[in-house]
Amino acid sequence: MAGKAVIARAKTTVVSGGTGARRSLYWQYMVEPFLYLSPMILLIGSVMLMPLIVGISYSFQSIELLNPFATGWVGFENYEKLWSDRKFWIALENTVFWTFWSIFFQFLLGLGLAMLLNTQFFGKKLFQALVFLPWAVPTFLSALTWAWLFNPVIGPIPHWLAALGVLSEPYNILGDPDLAIWGPITANIWFGVPFFAITLLAALQSIPGELYEAAEIDGATPWQSFTKITLPFLAPMIAITVMLRTIWIANFADLIFVMTGGGPANSTQILSTYIFTTAFRKLDFGYASTIAVALLIILLAYAVILLWMRKRLVKI
Amino acid sequence: MKKFLTGITTAAMLTGSAAYAETTLKLVEVITSPERTKVLQSIVDGYEAANPDVTVEIISLPWGQAFEKLATMVAGGDIPDVVEMPDTWQALYAGSGQLASLSDHVADWEHGATLTEKTVAMGSQAGDLYMIPYGFYLRAMFYNKNLLAEAGVAPPETMADFMAASAAVSELEGKSGYCLRGGPGGTNGWVMMAAAMNGTNDFFTEDGKSRMNEPGSVEGIQFMLDLYQNGYAPKDAVSWGFNEIVAGFYSGTCAFLDQDPDALIAISERMPAEDFAVIPMPVGPSGKAFPTIGFAGWSIFKATAHEDKAFDLVAALSAPEANGTWAKRVGVIPVHKGADQDPYFQTEQFEGWFKELNGDQYEPTTMPTYLERWGYFASTVVLETSQEALLGQRSAQDLADEWAEFLTDEHAKWQAKQ
Repeated sequence: MAGKAVIARAKTTVVSGGTGARRSLYWQYMVEPFLYLSPMILLIGSVMLMPLIVGISYSFQSIELLNPFATGWVGFENYEKLWSDRKFWIALENTVFWTFWSIFFQFLLGLGLAMLLNTQFFGKKLFQALVFLPWAVPTFLSALTWAWLFNPVIGPIPHWLAALGVLSEPYNILGDPDLAIWGPITANIWFGVPFFAITLLAALQSIPGELYEAAEIDGATPWQSFTKITLPFLAPMIAITVMLRTIWIANFADLIFVMTGGGPANSTQILSTYIFTTAFRKLDFGYASTIAVALLIILLAYAVILLWMRKRLVKI
Repeated sequence: MKKFLTGITTAAMLTGSAAYAETTLKLVEVITSPERTKVLQSIVDGYEAANPDVTVEIISLPWGQAFEKLATMVAGGDIPDVVEMPDTWQALYAGSGQLASLSDHVADWEHGATLTEKTVAMGSQAGDLYMIPYGFYLRAMFYNKNLLAEAGVAPPETMADFMAASAAVSELEGKSGYCLRGGPGGTNGWVMMAAAMNGTNDFFTEDGKSRMNEPGSVEGIQFMLDLYQNGYAPKDAVSWGFNEIVAGFYSGTCAFLDQDPDALIAISERMPAEDFAVIPMPVGPSGKAFPTIGFAGWSIFKATAHEDKAFDLVAALSAPEANGTWAKRVGVIPVHKGADQDPYFQTEQFEGWFKELNGDQYEPTTMPTYLERWGYFASTVVLETSQEALLGQRSAQDLADEWAEFLTDEHAKWQAKQ
């Protein structure tokens, strides 16, 4: 085997007519482009990769601001701690719950809104501008507003819910561990619907009208033209927006942080709020990085699965 | 044209006068409210007028994020000269050698001698002065006169009275007894209840064991759980912070509120003086109560390039007259001797606090802020675990054991450094 390799190498050193051309081809297609790209690669490397590597390296170290002399490499100690950390699993479960229901309603309502805005009606321009307003409101402000809306002393929502019979009495759901997560989710839905509406509306407007006309001539029902034309054309956009929003929402701690602070009793603690508390309250940056790496891995796996599904299911 | 010329000359004069200001001091305030910033600004304006070569830049951090914001500023090298230092962070910053010693400065200061002993003691750490406290927050019990009259109960003096009165008020339609603080900042409540039932406010025994899980303390924690679980506090109080308990009190949702003098400002604005009064904290079985006392003050970072100028600013903020104004507007007990003779503090509204200050059965409790992770304990550990207990997910004993273990560990760490 080794002998063969030597012979092979000996062969290649013998100059033959083709290698010069092949080398220049190799140079042209494999090396040269990277030279042109090198400034960008360096920039991206220094701006994105370096912090990522540093962050991941923190998770294998003990970095506590209060024990500045006890820093050092600890191997997988942080990860072992994470595995048996009850709060981590609670936060993970809450993250999935929070992300799924936020996305679910944002997407459905956003799609409905986009379909409505895709028709012609009087005052459409004004309506369109109003619809996109929540997206422009600073999250901190919307979180505070929603928090007070849910407060029975000042806000109307608990009284409406009680009048509808959803609640037994007008109390603040943000203080109820079983319902608290729905407060931030509501605020998040209000905040995120416009994003889906904007992107899906753009995709809807690019579907050729002839397709619908042809379908109508062939006697398709509205439901059939929705499922056979609209959805397949929207699918790539749906896949990419759902993926983007999922990653954003899973990392999105502002609303929860302002509205409930992760409480009561960790019932609204998601991974990103837990990372924040660990880093800035416990001042334990090593462990905070470990949780962050876990979140990163989960989101990467999710993105890979979604992209794979898109490749398999969407044939465009 | 004339206007334009005047504008030009004014601008020129302004830039001219700005050229005198050679020193810029960065002052960070962390317990922020618009009213408070106004008072601070007015005292600072006076200082700037007296020192034309100094400009003071005030940075207001909202209390909710102040801890991490300041920590981030300091870690990033953007270190302020003067900072408002709450008692809970003093150990962290002074212990890590970030703060300048003020002992020599105060010795040379004309008003240094009139600072009360308590003030100097509280501002000191390991025998050196690192902050000049600007006042004290002492806990006392506000009560809603109308609700108590309606329920037919007298203002409570003992813990048993307090439970009975809370129960009586809760009988009223849509009313609750106690404005319980289950959310951020609730630690003081738990500590006071535990101490009142345990008959001592020592946090540790001689051999450094936390007293948090002694039977008396557990009873105190159970007392609080009973208040909530029997419905003597509003259902959503489990997540109430400062704004919510104060709103709950002045809206007449709940009848009792334990708070510091600073809450008086917010409540006086929204409630007629004859509708509420302030009494001392109810005493436990031992005949004693242990209202928590807190404080904050002005500190100087060691990294400052203008230590003397920075101290002049701290001195201006801490001078008797400025401190008196500050105490009245911010709602704290002032720090200079003789300040309590001011007629402002001799009203019925302050009666509860001065009774506590003068009565033998009331022992003010200082939190063990010298423990490095006390801030984390108070802001996060107590918050999360106590909410679990209030919601019935764990027992008082379980809670007490976890807290005691944490505090005993921290105390051992602290002891090792002494």
